[in-house]
Amino acid sequence: MKKSTKSKAQPADRKSLSYRLAKDWSMNKWKYIMILPVVIYLILFCYKPMYGLVIAFKNYKLTRGIDGSPWVSPWYYWFQNFFEDPYFWRLIKNTFVLSGLTILFGFPAPIILALLLNEIKSNKFKRVVQTITYMPYFISMVVMCSIIKIFCQQNGLFSTIVEAFGGTGQNYLMNGAYFPLIYVLSDIWQGIGWNSIIYLAALTSIDQQLYEAAKVDGANRWQLMTHVTLPGLMPTIVVMFILRMGNIVNIGYEKILLLYNPSIYNVSDVISTYIYRLSFPTSGMPLYSKATAIGLFNSLINVVFLLFTNWLSKKTTESSLF
Amino acid sequence: MQVMKRISAIALMGALGASALAGCNTEKVNMESGGSSGAASATTTQASGAAASSGTTGTITYPLTNAKKVSWYIQDGPVPHTSFKDASESPFHTGLIKQTGVQIDWSFPTTGADANSYTSTILADPQSMPNIMTGYFMNNATQYLDDEIIWDLTPYLQEYAPDYWKWLQSNPDYDKAMKTDDGRYYTFGFFREDGGWNDSYQGPVIRKDWLDECGLEMPKTIDDVENVLKVFKEKYGATFDAPIKNRWETMGLAGAFGAYGNDKVDGTWGYYIKDGKVQFAMAQTEWRNYLSWLNKLWDEGLIDQDFLSEDDTTIKSKVHNNSTGLSYTSMGQLNVWMKEAAANGETCEWVGMPQVTGNDGTLSCVFGGPGIGTQTTVITKTADEETMKTALQLLNYAYSDEGFLYWNYGVEGVSWEYGDDGKPKFTELVTNDTDTDPMTKYNGATWSGPDIQATNLLYQKNSKVAIEANNTWYYVYPDDMKKNDAVTKEWKWPVGITFTTAEADELDTISTDLPTYVDEAYAAFLTGAKNINDDAQWKAFTDGLETHNLSRILEIRQACYDRYEKR
Repeated sequence: MKKSTKSKAQPADRKSLSYRLAKDWSMNKWKYIMILPVVIYLILFCYKPMYGLVIAFKNYKLTRGIDGSPWVSPWYYWFQNFFEDPYFWRLIKNTFVLSGLTILFGFPAPIILALLLNEIKSNKFKRVVQTITYMPYFISMVVMCSIIKIFCQQNGLFSTIVEAFGGTGQNYLMNGAYFPLIYVLSDIWQGIGWNSIIYLAALTSIDQQLYEAAKVDGANRWQLMTHVTLPGLMPTIVVMFILRMGNIVNIGYEKILLLYNPSIYNVSDVISTYIYRLSFPTSGMPLYSKATAIGLFNSLINVVFLLFTNWLSKKTTESSLF
Repeated sequence: MQVMKRISAIALMGALGASALAGCNTEKVNMESGGSSGAASATTTQASGAAASSGTTGTITYPLTNAKKVSWYIQDGPVPHTSFKDASESPFHTGLIKQTGVQIDWSFPTTGADANSYTSTILADPQSMPNIMTGYFMNNATQYLDDEIIWDLTPYLQEYAPDYWKWLQSNPDYDKAMKTDDGRYYTFGFFREDGGWNDSYQGPVIRKDWLDECGLEMPKTIDDVENVLKVFKEKYGATFDAPIKNRWETMGLAGAFGAYGNDKVDGTWGYYIKDGKVQFAMAQTEWRNYLSWLNKLWDEGLIDQDFLSEDDTTIKSKVHNNSTGLSYTSMGQLNVWMKEAAANGETCEWVGMPQVTGNDGTLSCVFGGPGIGTQTTVITKTADEETMKTALQLLNYAYSDEGFLYWNYGVEGVSWEYGDDGKPKFTELVTNDTDTDPMTKYNGATWSGPDIQATNLLYQKNSKVAIEANNTWYYVYPDDMKKNDAVTKEWKWPVGITFTTAEADELDTISTDLPTYVDEAYAAFLTGAKNINDDAQWKAFTDGLETHNLSRILEIRQACYDRYEKR
């Protein structure tokens, strides 16, 4: 019965799309229904809000609504306004420096941790280490920043250590030179355990026969790691790296807002904190339109980086997102 | 079939959840005036409500009959005490319904939400705004009036809010602040009965016990302060430290140098009026002298290294560890410090310190204000004309003699009664309550709101040491109130100024970076990262102010101020 409908459907396929859809529906009904909530979610929360982006080209007033607010002229008014901002270059520089350092040191850290954990023979010890490294991830950002602040105080932990070695302590958050270090180290400390999970999962999928074969060939542990484990991890690493590059401009504003103070604005003020200040100004109405324009600009940079990294990895490693 | 049902149920749940999230999470409380709220106070308010009903005020008799139902959003101030689930448990909010006879549908920002942003979400949907909104709308009032978001109350005010009208007429300053440049009344304001005493609620504080131990006099001038700091440092290893945020940032000790601000720049702070001219505090040489002095203290190690990141919470460890002996805070925080010290068994004695003057007695200004709040209460266009009239009468209540007592103390015989001195006194219901600020369960005027705050309320709320501190900070020239007014309020950017829509737009756009710029420069000059005494660096700073559009900002503000003065 089924076979006959199929053979009959063949010529009809070229005729009508609706027929094909109807047929597909009758065949995959349950799959469609299963995906429906996700589709609704995507439409409601990812596509519909995109309409709001038009306020980047308007002078948006809360009470006038998106449609009621007048267009700005020229259309790039808010973008120009941002590019001409006295802080523009500083924001760009700080964003890329902090983000770049986080990627440079923060990205390999969980991979190294995963590789090291993989080498541990004792399962008990492995689990203890894993639990300890996960833990900071579950500390709330506010609490974590308070801890950092207290450690960095003039009479805090770091100062005490430095003084024990004969140096003079200081408030390390008042000194711009230390801020990137504090930012990146605390980031690694908080995320290393959590981020290593995905690599640990990938490690389990590497074919054990490869190891055995390599051992037969006389490979030592270091060679096993560089010639079997790492190549096996490579696709995961590449995908994670591309995704990470797609977030290069997105530095979490929470952590910086919680940590910075006026004496280190020059190294810590980034695009996202600037957007935050526009949206929650100390006086006057929030500049929603300008904040949206900068957000859009941000996303464009992110997309460019994502595409570029993807292209590069396709060229060199032959694994890529799309 | 069974599976189909389940799956569609899941899909439906997804959609429902989505729509619930999409709608804003207004914490709405629906209450009928006669409904039982379940709170213990319900019966008591009922009893006294009947007694009060015979009272007549102005031409309006409360409770009103035939009142329309009114919805009311309050951003901050008279919100239910944190120990209550919602307004239906709050004696003040249920009581107000009883007293006025108006059914009120209350809403407030969700606990934990940023109140300002919460108000923004409401503003973004003008069609479903509550009828009455209490928040901060002065700067954009003209736009709201022109866009027909809020009611122009001018034709109705005198008839439907006679007590409020009387109050406005009692003082030309009040009247001036509560309307737009073209004379449209749009708002109910917050006023302090004392006319500004409590606007000087923060200032310098000092360890009295240390002063006595060292045999030092209470410091009065900047040289005295420097000397005290040196002695404290030598003897106790203590330095100057203060919460910057909300406290030190506004004024600091700038007045002693003839300057008019510390490092805070926003709608009110940073700008001042001198001889009818709007000026910028941080562009003046007086401010430079002030910072030069601070920088000297910093170099000598008399200021705590953590100073720039201190706030009300972090300062406490310094206060209780005896690592600071001279600070700057508010009377409320002073209460807290002393309370915590007593609980820890510490022997420290913090007192309010007189305003510090220059060595020649210079004092240009102190932290203060005119006794008029920036919080305003407006009636939105979601109210039809009849509802608007009810809202007017409802709001008028707070300014009537009877309503004044209710808003400040609650119901007589329940939360307060007349004391021996003939002044209202909170009963044991309030005084024995161990919650924070228990009077806010029964009254609305403790922080702000559309009302007149009684000075007596503040006397009852605060400890003796805090009240004395406030006296010390406010009465700079107790024998010459004219001179006192000059330093406490007359220099300030006035409350109630309204910008035109174009002005507000331009200011919002061009002045976003200025606060950051000044903050940063302040930190750099203070710590010596930039040398305040170097003319080239100072010039670079003042030139930088121009890149941040200072001249244009001052020009707009001047125009606006001139219009305000002509009202």
